[in-house]
Amino acid sequence: MSKKKEKANLDSFQAWCHRWGRIGTVIALIYMIALPFIVLGVYDCMPSIGDVFNLATMGILMIYIPVGFSEALTYTPILGSASYLTFITGNIMNLKVPCAVNAMNLTKKEPNTPEGEAIASVAVAVCSIMTVILLALAALFSTWISPFFELPAVKSASNYLIPALFGSMTLGLFGSTTSGKKVVKGGVMGMIPVLIIISVLALLVRVSSGGSLFGAVGFLLIAMLPIAILSSRIMWKKGLIKVVDKEAK
Amino acid sequence: MVTMQDIIHSPLLLILIAIGLLYIVGFSVVYLIKAYKHCLELGMTKDDINKVIKSSVFFSIVPSLSIVVGLFVLISVMGTLWSWWRLSVIGSLSYESMISSSVASAIGFASSGEMLSGATGQQFGVVMILMSIGMLSGFFILIPFGKKLSMSVNKTETSSDWKYVFSGVFMLCMFSVYIPVLLIGDTIQALVMLTGLVVAVALGVLASKPKLHWLADFIMAFSMIAGMASSLLWLKLFS
Repeated sequence: MSKKKEKANLDSFQAWCHRWGRIGTVIALIYMIALPFIVLGVYDCMPSIGDVFNLATMGILMIYIPVGFSEALTYTPILGSASYLTFITGNIMNLKVPCAVNAMNLTKKEPNTPEGEAIASVAVAVCSIMTVILLALAALFSTWISPFFELPAVKSASNYLIPALFGSMTLGLFGSTTSGKKVVKGGVMGMIPVLIIISVLALLVRVSSGGSLFGAVGFLLIAMLPIAILSSRIMWKKGLIKVVDKEAK
Repeated sequence: MVTMQDIIHSPLLLILIAIGLLYIVGFSVVYLIKAYKHCLELGMTKDDINKVIKSSVFFSIVPSLSIVVGLFVLISVMGTLWSWWRLSVIGSLSYESMISSSVASAIGFASSGEMLSGATGQQFGVVMILMSIGMLSGFFILIPFGKKLSMSVNKTETSSDWKYVFSGVFMLCMFSVYIPVLLIGDTIQALVMLTGLVVAVALGVLASKPKLHWLADFIMAFSMIAGMASSLLWLKLFS
């Protein structure tokens, strides 16, 4: 796509985000990487490259790296121009994505539209500020408030944040939106292969080890995305998934 | 010799973290102002946007409190400052918690308690660097390809029908992976999710009544809280 055409497809806010959001993200990244090096340099205790990258530490990196790829590939297309701020402040699936979805549901706007991305950006920005403030207060008053957060009931309920979020978000899947002139009918059909594969895998793991695939969701998302895209494409070509005008719905 | 204790209580670390957090808040405020103005330009009313802000503030509290629980787990392993920084930027509650349990053995300690009392500054340096560079992988996609990824699903009036289908695939795929994993993998997770859904539906019905219309802004937040709280009951009944 030519630069000119690309620009014409972006509205002014999206263009601002993809330019200044990206620059702001690069600055934040440089700072985040530099921070430990500054501290270690001043204290004269810089570890060697061999200390950082070896067989024992690779296990830790192997947890982080695929998750990062998976999050970027899955959530950037959902969040659009709100992605830059979302990724800098982290806690994407357990906070930012649900918050953005909540904002789009409330205003009945669709993802991947100028309206949807703008309102999602408002929500993500508010949510980021709130989290920084709450964490700062928690760190500042940690001695006084830690007994509450270490209560077994609070710790145990916190483990169930993601299932509770999905329960509350699922309703939004069936909500109607007002932006966009077309509606996709039967989009879930394209997900049938993904649903079957994941259900069989989850069942196998549960029956064989009594465990769950919950810790492997990052890997599963990367693996399932191409299947979801391909099956949706095939079903759209075969007419099983249809795109109709909103009025004709 | 510099120890881990010297670093995790270092005033320099505190100052650098404060500067970093001020930058993040500043960046968020600029984003917020730009997005707010643009929403108005796109025809949304101030009431609508303020409703989203109010709901987002409320909605953020419970997940943030869960992150605070994670903060206290991390504090016991890495001290207050570094844990605070990691959970305020890029980091994710689930992965930082996972790391906290494996990091001590990776640098040669039997437990996190042993690491906290016995690690040298250099050994803790390994932890700091690993945690700082580990989550960067996503940025190798976001920075060069973020615009292309967003544009590939951007819907305009002239977009092809396939683009409308394609744009919905990512969200549907996320649900199609998470839902079976949560429903089949663990009974309590399944019950918590179903409770959240049932409460959301019930609140949706209540919110349709004129006197309770205000509930509509908080359906997700309330159903999430109900789901999490229900875990205590389900745990009592089924574990």
